[in-house]
Amino acid sequence: MTDALLALDGIARHYQVGSEPVRALDGVSFEVGRGDWVAVVGQSGSGKSTLMNILGCLDTPTGGTYRINGQDVQGLSDDALADLRNREIGFVFQTFQLLARSTALANVELPLVYRGVPRRERRRRAEEALGSVGLSERMHHRPNELSGGQRQRVAVARALVGDPSLLLADEPTGNLDSATGEEIFRLFAALHGRGHTIVLVTHEPRLAARCPRAIRLMDGRIVADGPGRDVARIGADGGAA
Amino acid sequence: MTRIARALAELVEGLRIALGALSGHRLRTALTTLGIVIGVTTVIAIVAIIQGLNRSFESQIQRFGAHTLYVSRYNWVSVSGDWWKYRNRKPIGETELKAILRESTIAVAASPVVSVTAAVSRGERSSSRVQVTGVGSDYLVANGGSVDAGRFLLASDVDLTRDSAVVGTDVADRLFPGASPEAVVGQKVLVAGHPFHVVGVMERRGRFLGQAMDNNVFVPFTTFGSLFGNKRPMFLAVAAPPGRVPDLDSELTGILRRARRVPPGRADDFVLNRQDQFLKVYQGLTGALYGVAVGVGLITLVVGGIGIMNIMLVSVHERTREIGVRRALGARRRTILLQFLVESAVVAALGGALGTAIGLAIAQVIALTTPLAAAVEPSAVALGLGFSAMTGLLFGSWPAWRAAHLDPVEALRYE
Repeated sequence: MTDALLALDGIARHYQVGSEPVRALDGVSFEVGRGDWVAVVGQSGSGKSTLMNILGCLDTPTGGTYRINGQDVQGLSDDALADLRNREIGFVFQTFQLLARSTALANVELPLVYRGVPRRERRRRAEEALGSVGLSERMHHRPNELSGGQRQRVAVARALVGDPSLLLADEPTGNLDSATGEEIFRLFAALHGRGHTIVLVTHEPRLAARCPRAIRLMDGRIVADGPGRDVARIGADGGAA
Repeated sequence: MTRIARALAELVEGLRIALGALSGHRLRTALTTLGIVIGVTTVIAIVAIIQGLNRSFESQIQRFGAHTLYVSRYNWVSVSGDWWKYRNRKPIGETELKAILRESTIAVAASPVVSVTAAVSRGERSSSRVQVTGVGSDYLVANGGSVDAGRFLLASDVDLTRDSAVVGTDVADRLFPGASPEAVVGQKVLVAGHPFHVVGVMERRGRFLGQAMDNNVFVPFTTFGSLFGNKRPMFLAVAAPPGRVPDLDSELTGILRRARRVPPGRADDFVLNRQDQFLKVYQGLTGALYGVAVGVGLITLVVGGIGIMNIMLVSVHERTREIGVRRALGARRRTILLQFLVESAVVAALGGALGTAIGLAIAQVIALTTPLAAAVEPSAVALGLGFSAMTGLLFGSWPAWRAAHLDPVEALRYE
């Protein structure tokens, strides 16, 4: 149990919207081992986004415990959470979330800036990360000079550059056409092949089916956890098992 | 070690971001800084002119015999209270002059000074309101000034009550238009209808407190007395060697009390005036002006600061998603705070620099086109820049705080 990279035990996240209590997550428990590739699927409102925010240490649960790399995030200060994100998590977002005024290289360097890595070292590692996603030629271009697929590659390089424990991707193919989406998905597959731990949040059963493992959420609870193909099929059947 | 490296990297990054954001919105940046520019411009221009006035005043005071005591019946600067008391005092005159010349071991020069406004003419040409001053031969040593052509009055001019005169350049120009100072020496002029020989022409002195210093004629005080009578209030200019003015002050007090028979225990019935008394009064006046300038500056800086706060709030709002991304990638709150503080400080400092430059330019233009002088001390520039950067930090802190306390989840989701 202590060996797992991510360990969630009875995670709950409750909000108060007006006088209405909302249980975005309600007793979610699972583990993710090192080198695993897990898809999180579910319809909108199922709690996917909330789970992703908690996994990414952008939000903290109101109940249960979450350990990442053995560290309990409960009670960590805002600064400590920022440092944890910087070290342990590499984010890939649906809308890329690149800084428009910065070059691809500067975007990729950003996590290292916040880690205090010296300039030259930063530059070297960012170039390396861009090379690993096949963008060595476009390093000095700004996001608006890149195609959607290229932008998402830059985002992946930015997620990888700090050598985090976990790649956390939120609908990474959602804003791409199917061919480009496939290209990005293959990039994740390749990263998984190199030993990276990946959590992929998606609403597409088609993609979840190709992941070794998938978790299906509904109304803030896990309704299925198993091989991607099986879990995805439940979704294709149109609801709970 | 890594903490310092990280803080430094964050600061550099903050500066880079700030410059990028500002150059991305040039017009907006320019309009934002306008308030600061106007404020700093005003303050720098006013301060430059005040400092210029101070400096020229001080240099003129210097020319006036900084080491000179002026023996008079009343205090030149603060004529306080009972002026009858002063008026009824025994006049200062030759008795006191002789006593000083006889007894003082410190004084290097002493001269009486007595003035009247009179007409000076030569043939058809005349000047009606010339200051005619009766002095001794040591006047220049005691009071400052020098002769351009010819000579000043000699002891023999005074002793023999000669009709010798030394004229100021304004008088020379009026009565002898186009003539060189040398050509004026040896000519005859009428002072209050009485013929005088011009023995010398003074060097030009310019203006002092807005008063022409060259519209005058110096004559022996003895001749002055026989022409205008001995009732006019006289004072004595007595010079000390540099640094010995306080010694001379106490020595003169003793000599004058004896000469004027002031009983022990009674207050002096004379005053030893000094030029730097003027300086004190003057500095009091400009101090008040300084206060007004600083007040105006502060008000405009506050207005400018509110402009900066406004635009920084807009900037934070526009970059909500960027803030979310940075937070997700590991930026601490402090880092975001610093980034926006740097940005507002840079905007304000830009305004400060621009305002300083414009203020200096305005001061120069004023100095060149009006009788006002202008000078700028580095302290004024430092003050302008410092104040504006402070304004940026102060008014940027609330928007920066808001940016730093955005919820990363909300910020990332912001459209």
